[in-house]
Amino acid sequence: MLSKKLTIPTVLIMAVALVMVMFPVFWIAMTAIKPPTDWNASPAIWVPSEPTFINFLTLFDTDAIRKYGVGGVSQSATAAVFGSVFASVIATALSVAIGLFSAIGISRYGNGGKATPLIILSGRMFPPAAIAVPFVIIFSTIAMIDSYGGLIAIYVAVTLPFSTWMLKSFVDDVPREIEEAAMLDGRSRLMAHFRVTIPLIRGGLFSTTMFIFILNWSEFMFALVLSYSNVNTIPVQLAKYVTATAGTLYGVQAALAVLAMVPLILAGYGIQSHLARGMTFGAVKQ
Amino acid sequence: MRTIIHKLTPSLFQSEVAIDLQDTPLPARTSGREGSKGGMGIAATGRFLMLPGQIVSLLVLVVPLIVALYMSFTDWSPTRGSLFDAQFVGFENYSELLIWDTRFLYAVIRTILISTVCLSLEFMLGLGLAVLFLREFRGKSILFSAFLSPMMILPVVVGYTFWMLFQSNGPINQTIAFLFGSEATIEWFRSAPFALLAVVVTEVWHWTPLFFLILLSGLNAVPENPIRAAVILGANPRQVFWRVILPMLKPVIIVAFIIRSMEIIKLFDEVFMLTRGGPGSSTETISLYIYKLAFNDFQLAYGAAAAFIVLVGSLLLVHLMLRPMRKQLLEVHR
Repeated sequence: MLSKKLTIPTVLIMAVALVMVMFPVFWIAMTAIKPPTDWNASPAIWVPSEPTFINFLTLFDTDAIRKYGVGGVSQSATAAVFGSVFASVIATALSVAIGLFSAIGISRYGNGGKATPLIILSGRMFPPAAIAVPFVIIFSTIAMIDSYGGLIAIYVAVTLPFSTWMLKSFVDDVPREIEEAAMLDGRSRLMAHFRVTIPLIRGGLFSTTMFIFILNWSEFMFALVLSYSNVNTIPVQLAKYVTATAGTLYGVQAALAVLAMVPLILAGYGIQSHLARGMTFGAVKQ
Repeated sequence: MRTIIHKLTPSLFQSEVAIDLQDTPLPARTSGREGSKGGMGIAATGRFLMLPGQIVSLLVLVVPLIVALYMSFTDWSPTRGSLFDAQFVGFENYSELLIWDTRFLYAVIRTILISTVCLSLEFMLGLGLAVLFLREFRGKSILFSAFLSPMMILPVVVGYTFWMLFQSNGPINQTIAFLFGSEATIEWFRSAPFALLAVVVTEVWHWTPLFFLILLSGLNAVPENPIRAAVILGANPRQVFWRVILPMLKPVIIVAFIIRSMEIIKLFDEVFMLTRGGPGSSTETISLYIYKLAFNDFQLAYGAAAAFIVLVGSLLLVHLMLRPMRKQLLEVHR
């Protein structure tokens, strides 16, 4: 169809695009290894002459930075890292498990009333602010505010549409005949799904899990409004650092940002071939 | 609310559900044989599988929404004790928002404006890149991964990164100074138009890869034969692209736009990190305004009413987008 060869203009466009795509990533990574003197230098320093890991160290040992003559960081990020891992992992497991049930239910039985798929899907349409307001009130009434239980419940609910629809698209790919054969062998319907369907969509299950993990790990607003002292996640901690110091702790903040994005980039590349499917609720299969 | 859900439901899913039921190849005769193990019947199994999802949706989405709806008709705020003591004020919050609250109106207009500009740019850039990726060249897969990386990064981190890039002594100003002299540098977060531009740039950088990804998988799925036929009939490459490829890409384009509209209408994280709505309220999005209402000013009832207006608005919007495109969406889905 269109020309298949690379011409000089296309190479140039690609090169420019690549620079624009990679530059912010490069910048945050460079800032994370800058010593305090380079943080906010004017004119800005692009590549630090003496790269250091002090910023990463400071995240967990708030006094480490003092040897550079910079006041310590008010809060260690240890709790935030723990909170992010804890909330994301549990919420992801629950969301995928529940989503798997719903996916089989919708794909194989078209069941649950006609409104259920829509209700699940519209969970994604609600502006987070719209659900956050009642949540804060309900959770303060039942003493679940500032608790991981509350945060995880919301994470499960808002990622459920993604896990359900992504998994449904994988279940749809499994031929029904295989399940029928298992049922004829005397397994109950449910056992046929557990023993036959689920092992067949292992790859899809893994991709969905990674994808939901990306969503949970990135979530910011709910964590922001539901956390006071017990609950903390990396995005909230990053916002706190920026607010508390008017953003002057560039290096430390960048180190936390890098720490936050490394697992996501790994997970994202791991499931690259299924990313479109996840993002479009299974509508686009690659 | 109910009527909207009912109206939306059939258009989105009814035909699909119907198709699924039709191809269910397990009618009563097989269920007789497998019943020996004492398993549940078809209907019971289906209901059982749906149960967890329904419970979660009910508890975590429906109940809070009912509470919020009730609250939006009161003048409740945390200082007034429990929600049950709140004064019922009817549609006062709603009329205040819709008629008098210009800040809300501007936030709505601004969000729509940002969304339109961002989605158009993301679509064009994503389509352009996707077309380039139809060629075969060395290092294609690595380049493909590199181009996807922005969408894998947390919105908060993206916001923070661009906040650093747009600092007055940051690399963007440095580049501007290098190219056009130091008097051309811009105080990005001090003027409303430039702050808005910074938000748009950030958002476009973050989400163009999604359009690129979806459109590329769409382009790769375009069948060869119509293209060959068009070429044989004498169409030039431009005509082939606009008249043959693009129409076939339509369903995928629509899916991409729906998904992105649903997300960008909620724009919050990046703006929160970049400008917090400033200077003044010149980059305030709907989500940011509701957030400030509820959690800075503690006007929770008023915030809930605003949230409901937005909710109904976005449901209507998605419904409007879906209605003419239902067929395409379902075709892609099958």
